[in-house]
Amino acid sequence: MLEARGVTVRFGGLVAVSALDLDVPDRGIFALVGPNGAGKTTLINALSRVCPVTEGTIRLGDVDILGLPPHAVVAAGIARSFQRAELFPSLTVLENLLVGLHTTMKTGLSGALTTPASRSEEQAARARAEQVLRDLDLWDVRNAAPGDMPYGHQKLLDVARALVSAPALLLLDEPFAGLTEAEAPRLLACIRAAGERCAVLMIEHHFELLEGIAQRMTVMDFGRKVSEGTPASMRNDPEVIRCYLGTGRHRTSAAAAC
Amino acid sequence: MQFLLQIALAGLAQGSLFALTALGLVMIYNASAVVNFAHGAMGMAATYVAYVLIARFEVPFALAFAAALVAAFVLGAVVQALFLARLRDAPLLSQVVVTLGLFMLLEGLVGIAFGYNPRPMRESIAIAPVILGDLVLRPQDVLQLALLLILGVALAAFFAATKIGLGMRAITENTYAARLIGIPVGRLLAIAWGTGVALSAVAAVLAAPTTSVTPNMMDTIVVYGFVAAIVGGFGSMAGALVGGLILGVVVNLIDAFLAPELAMSIVFGLLLVVLYVRPDGLFGRAQVQKV
Amino acid sequence: MSRRLVIAILVACAVLPIAFQALGQRQVYWLFVISEFYVFAIVAISLDLLMGRSGQISLGQSGFVALGAYTAAILNQRFNVDLPLGMLAGAVTAAVASLVLGFPATRLRGHYLGIVTLGFGIAIDQIALKWDALTGGDQGIHLHRPALFGLDAGTPVRMYYVALVALVVTVLLVRGLTQTRIGRAFAAIKDSEVAAAAMGVPVARTKVLAFFVSAFLAGAAGGIYAFLAGFVAPEDFGIESSLLFFAMVVIGGMGSIPGAIGGAVVVDAVKNAAATVSGLSLALLGGMIVLVVLFFPGGLKALLRPRGARRARRHAPKGVVRQDA
Repeated sequence: MLEARGVTVRFGGLVAVSALDLDVPDRGIFALVGPNGAGKTTLINALSRVCPVTEGTIRLGDVDILGLPPHAVVAAGIARSFQRAELFPSLTVLENLLVGLHTTMKTGLSGALTTPASRSEEQAARARAEQVLRDLDLWDVRNAAPGDMPYGHQKLLDVARALVSAPALLLLDEPFAGLTEAEAPRLLACIRAAGERCAVLMIEHHFELLEGIAQRMTVMDFGRKVSEGTPASMRNDPEVIRCYLGTGRHRTSAAAAC
Repeated sequence: MQFLLQIALAGLAQGSLFALTALGLVMIYNASAVVNFAHGAMGMAATYVAYVLIARFEVPFALAFAAALVAAFVLGAVVQALFLARLRDAPLLSQVVVTLGLFMLLEGLVGIAFGYNPRPMRESIAIAPVILGDLVLRPQDVLQLALLLILGVALAAFFAATKIGLGMRAITENTYAARLIGIPVGRLLAIAWGTGVALSAVAAVLAAPTTSVTPNMMDTIVVYGFVAAIVGGFGSMAGALVGGLILGVVVNLIDAFLAPELAMSIVFGLLLVVLYVRPDGLFGRAQVQKV
Repeated sequence: MSRRLVIAILVACAVLPIAFQALGQRQVYWLFVISEFYVFAIVAISLDLLMGRSGQISLGQSGFVALGAYTAAILNQRFNVDLPLGMLAGAVTAAVASLVLGFPATRLRGHYLGIVTLGFGIAIDQIALKWDALTGGDQGIHLHRPALFGLDAGTPVRMYYVALVALVVTVLLVRGLTQTRIGRAFAAIKDSEVAAAAMGVPVARTKVLAFFVSAFLAGAAGGIYAFLAGFVAPEDFGIESSLLFFAMVVIGGMGSIPGAIGGAVVVDAVKNAAATVSGLSLALLGGMIVLVVLFFPGGLKALLRPRGARRARRHAPKGVVRQDA
C-alpha cells in the first residue's frame, strides 16, 4: 500500500536518507530500526511531509504523497506520533484528541453560533474520542492538562491522537522511549490492536518488543536500508549487529542489547 | 541632480542614526535571541543623563556624552541580568512582552520625572557647515556618519579578533557548548546588552538636537531601527548597517517627493513586500524547526 | 467561572444605570466610562483570541479598532448609516484589512510579526491623520445621534446597554468558537505548528482566520465606540492605545475570556485613575506587565485560580510536552 522508491533527503551537504526503497502492506506492524542518526526519524518526517524530499517517489495507494502539503497528509490516510510527544498543552486531553479529528469535521466559524449542525457534529466527535480514551484507559483524565500526566501517558495520548482519525498508515516515532515498565503494556496492546486495522510503521530500538509484535523489520544505517526481514532472522544478522555495535566484539550481550 | 545628491546625503546622515540603533538591536539579538523592544527607550533614558549633566551641572558636552554611554551600558547590562536572564528558557512571547513592559515603564518613569515638554539639546559640534562644491554638509551629519563608520569598524574588529567578541559569537552558535568550555555566558550576555544599548544611546544623543529631549524622542528612530535590522535579516550587523543607511535615504526621498507624514506607512508597506518575498529579511538565514 | 457568579455579574451590570441615578449629574460621566470599558473589553477579548489563544503576536490592534471606528463614522456622517449597520461595516472593513496582515503573518517569525503589526497600527494612524478629505484629519469626525433600527439610541443609558449587550454577545461567540473545531485549531497552531499540520490543521490558513476573526471583533468594537463617543479622531488610536490593549491581555492572563475582561478592568482603571499625571499610567502598566511576566506568568487569571488547583499544578510531574527552538 505504501510504496517509497529511491527516497533521498538531503539537508545542504548532509544526506540523511539515501536512495531508500520501502514497501508497507495495508495491515500489520512493521519496524524501522537502526542506530542513532541512521535517518529513521527523517524518513518518517519525509513520509508525513514534515521535511522535503530531495529525490524519489512516495505513493500511498494511488495517491502521490509528495504532491501534498503537510496538512493534507492525514486526510490522505497517514497519521503519526512524535519522538517528543508534541502535544497541545493549552488543550485538555480530550481536546487534544479532537484536534486529531480536525479533518473529519466540517464546522467552521459557525461553531461560534452553536448551530444544531455544529453541536451534533461536536457530540459525535466527542463520543468517538471518548471511546478511544476508554480503550486506552485514559478516560478518567480526559479533562486534565496533558502536562499534568506522567510521561508515559503523554506518549500514549500522542499515539491516540494519531489513531483517532482511523488512518490507513500509522507512523510511530519511538513510541516506547521514556516509558516505564508499567506503562509499556498498555501502549503495546494499543499498537497490536491498531496493527489489525491498519498498517503501523514504527521506529523502535527495543528488540524484545519488536520480536513480539513486528512482522517485518527494516534496518537503516547512514540513511540507507541495510537489511530487511523478520525480527527472528534479524537477531543474528551480522549486518544488524555490526551497525549497532561496530565491531561485534561483545557478541553474547549484543542480542540482548539490541 | 544636485538636489537628489543633497537629499541622498541628508538621507545617509539620518540613516546613520537608524543604522546605529539597528546595530545595537542586532548585537543584542545575536547574543541573546531577544528583540529588545525597549531599545529606543533605554537610549532615551541615557540621553536624559547627558541632558541633566549639561543643563544643570554645565558639564562639557563630550563628558556628558561619555557619561550617557556609561549609563546606557549599565542600564543594558542590569536589564539583562535582572530581567532577561530569568526568562532565558521562557517562550518567545514572554521575552517580547517583558521588553515591551520595560519600554512602557521607562518611558513612563522618565515622563513622570521630567514631564513631556521638549527639552533642548544643542548641536554636538559647533563649527561651520562643511561645503563640498555645491553640497552642504551639516557638521552634525558629518559627526553621525563618522561615528557610524568608526563604530562599525570597531565592532567588526571586536567580533573577529577579541576574546570577548569571539565568545559572544560562540554563545549565539551554541549556548550550552559555550558554557561547557568555560565561556562566561552570563557576563558576555550582560556585555552584549550593555554595548547594544550604548549604541542606542549614541543614536539618541546625536538625534537630540533635532528631536529635542522628550520621553518619546526615540520612538520613530527605533521603529526605523527595527526595519533596518529586519532588512539585515536580524543577524547580520553589516546588513543592519547598510539597511539603516538605505532606509535613511528612502525616508528622505519620501519626505522630499511624497508625503513626510506617510513615510512610516510607506516604509512598512515596502517592508511587507520584502518580507513576503523573503520572510527572513534580505540577508537573513532561514530557520529550521526540529521535530 | 461558576454559572451563578456569571449571572450575578450580569444582573449587576444590567442594573448599574439605575444605581448610577443616585450620582445625579455625574452619572453621565460614569455611564460613559463603564460603556467605554465594555468596548475595550471586546477589543481585549479580540486580541486575546489572536495572541493568547492563537499565539500570533499583535502590537497594532488599535489599527483594527480605528478602521472600524472610522468606517462607522464616515458612513454615518455622509449617509446617515445607523448603529447596527455602521458597526457591521466597521467590522467587515477591519476584517478585510486584516488579510493584509494575515498573509505575511503566515510566514513571519514571532518577532517580525510583532514589528509588522506595530507598523500596521502606526500606518493606520498616520493615514487617518493625513487623508483628511475622508477622515477629517486631526479635526476628526462628528457622528450624528445614533439610532438602532429606527429607535433613538442617543442617551447615555441606551448606549450603555448597547455596549453591554455587545460585550455579552462577543463573549458568547468567542466562547462558542473556542469550544469547537476552529478554536481548537487556533490553540493547536500556537502550541505546535508541526503537530497541528500532522493532524490536518492548515496552519497558514488558520493564522489568517485568526487575524480575520480578531479584526472583525475589534472593528465592531471600534464601530460601537464611534457612536458611543460621538466623535473619532486619530489620537484615540495611536500606538499608546495598542499598548493598552496589549497590557490588558498580558495582565489579565492569556488564552482566557475572563482573563481578558479582568485585564481590561485593571488597565482601564489605572488609565483613568492615573490620567492626571502624564507618564504615570504608562509606568504603572509597564511595571505590572514586567511583574506579570517574571512572577505571575498566568496573569490575573492564574492568581485568582482556586488554591487547590494551583497546588496540584505545582506538584505535577514536569513532563516536557513542548520544547521551544
